[in-house]
Amino acid sequence: MNVVSCQGVMKRYGRGNALRNLSFTLAENSITGLIGRNGAGKTTLLSIIAGLQKQTSGEVRVFSENPFNNLKVSANTIFIHGNMTFPAAMTLSELLQTAGSFYHNWNNQLAERLLEYFSLDPSQNHNNLSKGMKSTFNMIVGLAARCPLTIFDEPTSGMDAGVRKDFYRALLKDYIASPRTIILSSHLLNEVEDILEDILLIKEGEKCLHMTVEDMKEYAIGISGPAAAVESWIAEREIIHQQTAGVNGTYAVVRNVFSEEGLERARLQGLEMTPVSADSLCMYLTSKTKGGIDHVFS
Amino acid sequence: MYLAEVKLSNIVKKQYSYKLKSYSSGFTSLIFIQMIAILFSFNGSSMMGGGSETFSYDVKYFTGSMILVFTMLWAFIVGILITTKAYRNDDYSFVTNQAASQYSNILFLLSACAFAGVTAFLSTHLFQLIAVFVLKDHSFMMQQLTVGEMLKGLCASYLYIFLLASIGYFAGMLIQFNRAFVFILPVVIFGLLILEGVVTGESTMLFKTGIFFGDETSFVLFAIKVIGVSSLFYAAASFLLRQMEVKA
Repeated sequence: MNVVSCQGVMKRYGRGNALRNLSFTLAENSITGLIGRNGAGKTTLLSIIAGLQKQTSGEVRVFSENPFNNLKVSANTIFIHGNMTFPAAMTLSELLQTAGSFYHNWNNQLAERLLEYFSLDPSQNHNNLSKGMKSTFNMIVGLAARCPLTIFDEPTSGMDAGVRKDFYRALLKDYIASPRTIILSSHLLNEVEDILEDILLIKEGEKCLHMTVEDMKEYAIGISGPAAAVESWIAEREIIHQQTAGVNGTYAVVRNVFSEEGLERARLQGLEMTPVSADSLCMYLTSKTKGGIDHVFS
Repeated sequence: MYLAEVKLSNIVKKQYSYKLKSYSSGFTSLIFIQMIAILFSFNGSSMMGGGSETFSYDVKYFTGSMILVFTMLWAFIVGILITTKAYRNDDYSFVTNQAASQYSNILFLLSACAFAGVTAFLSTHLFQLIAVFVLKDHSFMMQQLTVGEMLKGLCASYLYIFLLASIGYFAGMLIQFNRAFVFILPVVIFGLLILEGVVTGESTMLFKTGIFFGDETSFVLFAIKVIGVSSLFYAAASFLLRQMEVKA
C-alpha cells in the first residue's frame, strides 16, 4: 500500500512555482530521503504532505486521504521541521507529556531516555535551548511519537557531529523496532545515505530521480582520461557532468548503460572508469549550470 | 498499518488543555493589570463637593468600573494575541486542523474570560475593602446588593469581557489574513467616527453601539446580543482562517 502518493502536484508562491508537476508514490514502511538543493522545494513538498499547506493543483493522497486540514492525517503524521514552535511557558517534560496525550503510539520511556542521553534538562524551556538542542528535542519528539508517517525536514541542522551520528543511529534502531514510513529531507546525502532505502531527488520543484540507493550507485559512471579520448567516448551519450581534470584531461559523468565489453574497450583506450557515489551524482544532477562555480570566476 | 482514528471533540479537548497550560503567562499579566486598575481606582471615579462659611463637604464615588475596563482591554489583547503566528503555529506542532484550532481557541477565550470576570469581581471587592480601610476617618455609604444582583453583575461583566475578546480575536485574524489591516482597521474605525462627526455634525456611532449593549434592561436580551455578535465575529474569523496556511 502506498502511504503517500502525489500526482502532478504544483505549488505556486506569488509569481514563482515552488513545485512543478511532481508525481511519485512512497510505499509503506520505507525510509525515503528527499534530496535537493536549497530552495528546491523540499520543505514545501513536505508541508503539503503533512497537510499544513495546500497544493495549487494536482492531487496528493496520504493514507488515501487528502492531507490538507485533515485531522486523521494530522493524528498519524508527525512533521519535524526547523520552524517548529512550542509555547514558551512550558518545560520540556511538560511538552513531552502533551505530545504523549496527542499521539496514539507515543513511547514515553524512549522520549525520557533520549532526553537524558542527550543531557537535556527536563525543567528547561524550549525557547532557552540552543539551535542544536532545539533540533535534538524536536527529533526526540519525532522519534517517540512513532507516527505511521514520520517526516523530518533537515532534522540535523545545528546539531554537532556527535549528536548527528547518534540521531541517525537512533532513527535506524527505532525504525527497526517499530517500522513506519519515514521521509528524511537533507542536502547532505553522504550523511544519510547509509540509512536510506530510497532517494527522491528534486530539482527546482521537479522530480529528478526516484530510485533505491543501490540503483543510484549504479546509475552513472565517471570517465576520466585525455580530453580527446573522453570526448569521443561520451559523444551522443547522456552527459550528466563534465569538467576539466589536470592538464588536457577531462572527467565526465555519464549514464551507466555500458556492457562489460564496452567498459573493457574503454579501458584499453586509456580511459579510467570510476563509480560515482550517490552524493556526487545528486550534486551533478542538481547543479544549476554545467560549468559549476568555476564558471563564475573564469 | 494501523491508523489511529480520532474524533474532533477529543482533539479539541486536548488542544484546549494544551492552551490552558501554554498561555499561563496571560493570567499573570491579568493579575498585574487588575492591580494597576485598583491603584487607579483610588482616584475616585467622580467627585462633588460644596460648603458654606462654616462647613464644607466632598463626595467621592469609588467604583470598580476601572477594573472592568482594564480587564476588557486585557481580553481584547488576549484575543488578538492568540491569533498571532507564534501562537497559531504552536497548535500545529501537535495534532490539529483548522476546526480543532478554532474551537479550542473559543473554548480557551470562554474560560480565560470567565477567570478574568471572577478576578475582576473579586478585585472590585478587594478595592472596596481597601477603600474602607484607607478612608476609615471618613464616613462612607455602600450599596447593598442581593446575591441575585451580584450574580447578574458578575455574568454581565463576563459577557462584556467575552465580547471584547471576540472583537480582538476577529481583529487579530484580519491582521493575520493581511498585514495591511494593521493600518486599515484603525483608519476605518476612527475615520468613520470623524466622518460622521463632520457630515452630521455629531458623532453618535460609538454612542449608539454603547446603547445597543449598555441600555439593554433585560439581562436575557443582553446575553443574546453579546453571544450573537460574538458568534458573528467567530464565524468571520473562521472564514479567514480557512484561507490561511501554516508555513513550515
